[in-house]
Amino acid sequence: MAKLRFYCIFLLYILIKCESASVDTISSDIRFKNVDRTIDISTQLVRITSKLTLENTGSTPVKNFLIAVESSAKNNAAFAGAKDSNNKDLRVVETTVKGYEYAKFWRVDLKEAVNPGATPQITVTLVLTKALLPYPTAITQQEDQLVKYIGNLYIYSPYYITSQKTNVILSSKSVESFTKVKPFTQQDGGIQYGPYPNVKPFSEKELAIHYKNNSPFLTVTRIERLIEVSHWGNIAVEEVIEIEHTGAKLKGPFSRYDYQQDHHSGPASVRSYKTLLPASASDVYYRDTNGNISTSNMKVKKDSVELDLRPRYPLFGGWRTHYTLGYNVPSYEYLYQSGNDYLLKMRVIDHIYDDMQVDEVVTKIILPEGSTSVKVNLPYPVTRLPDSLHYTYLDTKGRPVISFTKKNIVENHIEDFQLRYTFPRLLMLQEPLLVVGFLYALFLCVIIYVRLDFSIHKAEHPHKD
Amino acid sequence: MTVEVQAKTRLPQLSSDKQLTFIKLAVLSMAAILSFGTRLFSVLRFESVIHEFDPYFNYRTTRYLTEEGFYNFHNWFDDRAWYPLGRIIGGTIYPGLMVTSATLYNVMQFLNITIDIRNVCVFLAPFFSSLTTIVTYLLTKELKDEGAGLVAAAMIAIVPGYISRSVAGSYDNEGIAIFCMLLTYYFWIKAVNTGTILWATMTALAYFYMVSSWGGYVFLINLIPLHVLALMLLGRFSARVYVAYSTLYCVGTILSMQISFVGFQPVQSSEHMLALGTFGLCQLYAFTQYLREHLSPANFELLFKALLTTLLATLGTALVALTLTGKISPWTGRFYSLLDPSYAKNHIPIIASVSEHQPTSWSSFYFDLQVLVFLFPAGLYFCFSKLTDANIFIILYGVLSIYFAGVMVRLMLVLAPVMCIVSGVAASSLLSLHVKDIEPKVEKHEKKKKHENNLVFRSEVGFLFVTVLGCLLVSYVFHCTWVTSEAYSSPSIVLSARAHDGARIIFDDFREAYTWLKMNTPEDSKVMSWWDYGYQITAMANRTVIVDNNTWNNTHISRVGQAMASTEDKAYEIMRELDVDYVLVIFGGLVGYSSDDINKFLWMVRIGGSTERGRHIREADYYTGAGEFRVDADGSSTLLNCLMYKMSYYKFGLVYTEGGRPPGFDRVRGAEIGNKDFNLDVLEEAYTTEHWLVRIYKVKPLPNRGV
Amino acid sequence: MSSLTTVIPKLYQEYSTKTPKKLKIIDAYLLYIFLTAVIQFVYCCLVGTFPFNSFLSGFISTVSSFVLGVCLRLQVNPENKSEFQGLSAERGFADFIFAHLVLHIVVINFIG
Repeated sequence: MAKLRFYCIFLLYILIKCESASVDTISSDIRFKNVDRTIDISTQLVRITSKLTLENTGSTPVKNFLIAVESSAKNNAAFAGAKDSNNKDLRVVETTVKGYEYAKFWRVDLKEAVNPGATPQITVTLVLTKALLPYPTAITQQEDQLVKYIGNLYIYSPYYITSQKTNVILSSKSVESFTKVKPFTQQDGGIQYGPYPNVKPFSEKELAIHYKNNSPFLTVTRIERLIEVSHWGNIAVEEVIEIEHTGAKLKGPFSRYDYQQDHHSGPASVRSYKTLLPASASDVYYRDTNGNISTSNMKVKKDSVELDLRPRYPLFGGWRTHYTLGYNVPSYEYLYQSGNDYLLKMRVIDHIYDDMQVDEVVTKIILPEGSTSVKVNLPYPVTRLPDSLHYTYLDTKGRPVISFTKKNIVENHIEDFQLRYTFPRLLMLQEPLLVVGFLYALFLCVIIYVRLDFSIHKAEHPHKD
Repeated sequence: MTVEVQAKTRLPQLSSDKQLTFIKLAVLSMAAILSFGTRLFSVLRFESVIHEFDPYFNYRTTRYLTEEGFYNFHNWFDDRAWYPLGRIIGGTIYPGLMVTSATLYNVMQFLNITIDIRNVCVFLAPFFSSLTTIVTYLLTKELKDEGAGLVAAAMIAIVPGYISRSVAGSYDNEGIAIFCMLLTYYFWIKAVNTGTILWATMTALAYFYMVSSWGGYVFLINLIPLHVLALMLLGRFSARVYVAYSTLYCVGTILSMQISFVGFQPVQSSEHMLALGTFGLCQLYAFTQYLREHLSPANFELLFKALLTTLLATLGTALVALTLTGKISPWTGRFYSLLDPSYAKNHIPIIASVSEHQPTSWSSFYFDLQVLVFLFPAGLYFCFSKLTDANIFIILYGVLSIYFAGVMVRLMLVLAPVMCIVSGVAASSLLSLHVKDIEPKVEKHEKKKKHENNLVFRSEVGFLFVTVLGCLLVSYVFHCTWVTSEAYSSPSIVLSARAHDGARIIFDDFREAYTWLKMNTPEDSKVMSWWDYGYQITAMANRTVIVDNNTWNNTHISRVGQAMASTEDKAYEIMRELDVDYVLVIFGGLVGYSSDDINKFLWMVRIGGSTERGRHIREADYYTGAGEFRVDADGSSTLLNCLMYKMSYYKFGLVYTEGGRPPGFDRVRGAEIGNKDFNLDVLEEAYTTEHWLVRIYKVKPLPNRGV
Repeated sequence: MSSLTTVIPKLYQEYSTKTPKKLKIIDAYLLYIFLTAVIQFVYCCLVGTFPFNSFLSGFISTVSSFVLGVCLRLQVNPENKSEFQGLSAERGFADFIFAHLVLHIVVINFIG
């Protein structure tokens, strides 16, 4: 009972820590002197990198500033990050501003306060998922995939912008249509807009580009990542992945003949993709509920293991598949120990394919039986699920399972979490002792049974069955 | 292998008794482990996966049993097969196999040994083959002695006839049925030898386990009464046999009726009437024995004649009346075809079309049994020379199984154990005769001169004979291992071939297509295919099928056959009637896979034309004028325009399959196809696998009105 | 036929003098079972066979009990000692109980 209460309070504490809903106000002292924005829409993700030149026009030093995203892109924003001019990461925390509930805000905490008159340069990265919509929504096997991007011509910011430029990087030369607001120039593979002077805060003007994008539009709808820690020197990782092609749906028949004959057939389809595993990964298996999938290639590289995975069938628009990928890593690389305390440092999610887009990830960590006082440190806000128990070979009480989940994840979220727990060294003997005890009991039973006499009679000579 | 020889070679600090136990245990455990190990070839070469077609159904039902519990399993009505009829699974299967796997799985889960249910199913057959080895030892020990038991156990561990149906991955009824059968026989021999009610009841319980696991229990319930009858005729009927058989029949019958699939057949069908008749005869025989003891001969004669006439009259009329009025059903088709092999071919084409039901060829006997074929007659001789009640049973069993194995290839499985037992008896007897001679006894030195003529080459002959027999047994081992490795270890769901540069190519097309079906079609789609693939589609792709391997409804299968054999528009009517969304065909023309649907097509035509609605489908229409079955330009136009042809060869006319051949060259039939450039009107190609082995088509909906 | 009427009383007389008491008890039990079976069969003929499983289980129960009784009688009969090597009466009775246990469990399951 006390343990339950402790867990509840602990959970609440973690939740509060993780989703700190803070409230900020917009400072009128800050202005952006110059913004150099690059919108990269050559893959399925929208990557907006903005080089901001911040200007402190007030009289007091400025410690932080806000970045915002439009209400239309509010649900698509997956990742927001910032770096200063020395390429060091700055702390970015989600926040809200009173009166502007329809938009989404982040607060960037600067390493040194900005003195009045100073103009530091910050680079802000924003990644949006599902912002590129296939248009037309269904295509035949031969056609190219055209997508539409609807964004903002100006950077959506709470501050006054003196001058800004935008460079849009596309995946190919063919563009169906794009917003024409002077001054703009169109080149091979890109469109440049700007410079636009003196833009008011929170201004929006529609930027719509309809272009050809045959890059793979794969979404992992759900990934369940299981990390099983064993003190005998091995950590087993298993990922159960459901993946779907979220580009333009396939309309009409699928002709295997055309697909095999013509290398350009199905330009938007996905034949294979590369997954990167940790460098010391071994015993890799790739299967699904029907058995082993034999179409994969493994290349051991210097700092990672590259797995070229080919699903059982090519993925066209609207098609989905699922698989299980598992491997072992030695525990000395990720498990640190001092006395009875252990520290596990592993990634929340690993690299599945380039420019990945994950709808939901559930990470579960199975600790050895008898682990207590578990503490988790996460690099970004996640939802912690209740702890559970897992029973497997030679378990009596069950192994504790720590699990947490997060939605809308991209490659920038590949970071380590830290898990601390206590495990008395003596408990490691439990498993061999269990086997020994079982064999001992078995032999004892046989010895006793052989010496018992089950005859039912009073006659002189014993009979045998 | 006699006690004398053992006594001479004493191991240090072990009495001869303990030596014997040690040798017995060592040989038995080695045989058990060997029988498990030799069945693992396909798991090591490919992976731990269920093979063939029927095991997929068993696997699906076992999974359902572990998830839903026994009560739901027993009452399960499956609406995912035989659309729109459904199938009452609870009442139409033998649940022994599923219950055994589920029990093992649950016991292991309770002990926290988390082995997945698929692995339990894959490795169940090898595990039970180890148990079979031990039971064979026990059975042969009852028949002859321990030495023969050990040889028989070693032989049955690797005999190919048994391995073919119990390889790891072959999750079928026969895997446990042979174990149950031999267990029942062992208990029966024990019951006949000791005459106690305990052993007879154990026989009844083992018989119950046998009934729950395989339809071949009919063989058992006819063999045991035959044995009792044989004993009666030979004048060996004693109180022991009476106790054994009566208890077995009474308790066994009511136990066997607990299985829903068997139902009331033990008292109603002709296959069980022999057992009932023998039971009655036993009672009469025992009663007359009793009377004979208590009366003078003359009086006895009188009473006996009176009773006999009245009894025969009543029984005879009752039997005839019941059979004529249909209360007692006649022999079912499957078993009748064992007595009259031509019956199936003429009347029930479905039974005839299964390749396992074909008669056995001479080479199959040698292939599956090798040296046992030669040791069997020798063993029979040894059995005859020392005739006991148990030996008579084995002789009967052996002779009957040889007949049945000759009728149907599938029943080689029933022959393999008895061959091993009898050959074990032969080998053991021969060896024990001649091993004695290798070291002549010292005491006979004085009499040496008198017996010199007989003794002079005795030890040499003995040595030579033992060497020859040893070589034969060694060649048996090599043959069995080779056969297991080459012929009986293919999972058939994954094919493999060698490219011209020696690299191994894997054809995983079946699972590719089933996974595609599972992930990319609506949950309630109905898939039409030939009945061979029904179980696999329901188990792996989880979609509703029209017909499957159970083949219980010939009319429904015939409807599917008519759809495959008709032109597109006629087939479209049938497909709309059956609510079909997708059609699946297997095509081997690109890679040379010869078990595809075009090769099975004539059976589809025959079965399609065998019912009333398929009268317009005549087999002769699909042959050329000369009576050949050809797919090239000379083929019959009915064949070249039917749905199956179009589905198999759609767009195949453009493909170059072999160097130096025109496009559209079918590698299995060895001909360039006749009808090349055609379009499908009512179907749309939904998916074709990488090597064109599985082709899935979507049925187009009706066109919109007014368009 | 006429000599039949002399044979049967002779048989009865032989039976009542020669058989030991133990066997007579078993024979009385067998007679009772036989009468129960006859009653069941007559009832079935009158009322019909629905539900068939109930009739079968009851009838087979009587037949099996009768048969098991006969087996016990055979094993206990001192004349048959040579046939059943080393089988004491207690052991025979224990086996009899075991068989009845199995039989009645099945009968209760089948009776519906």
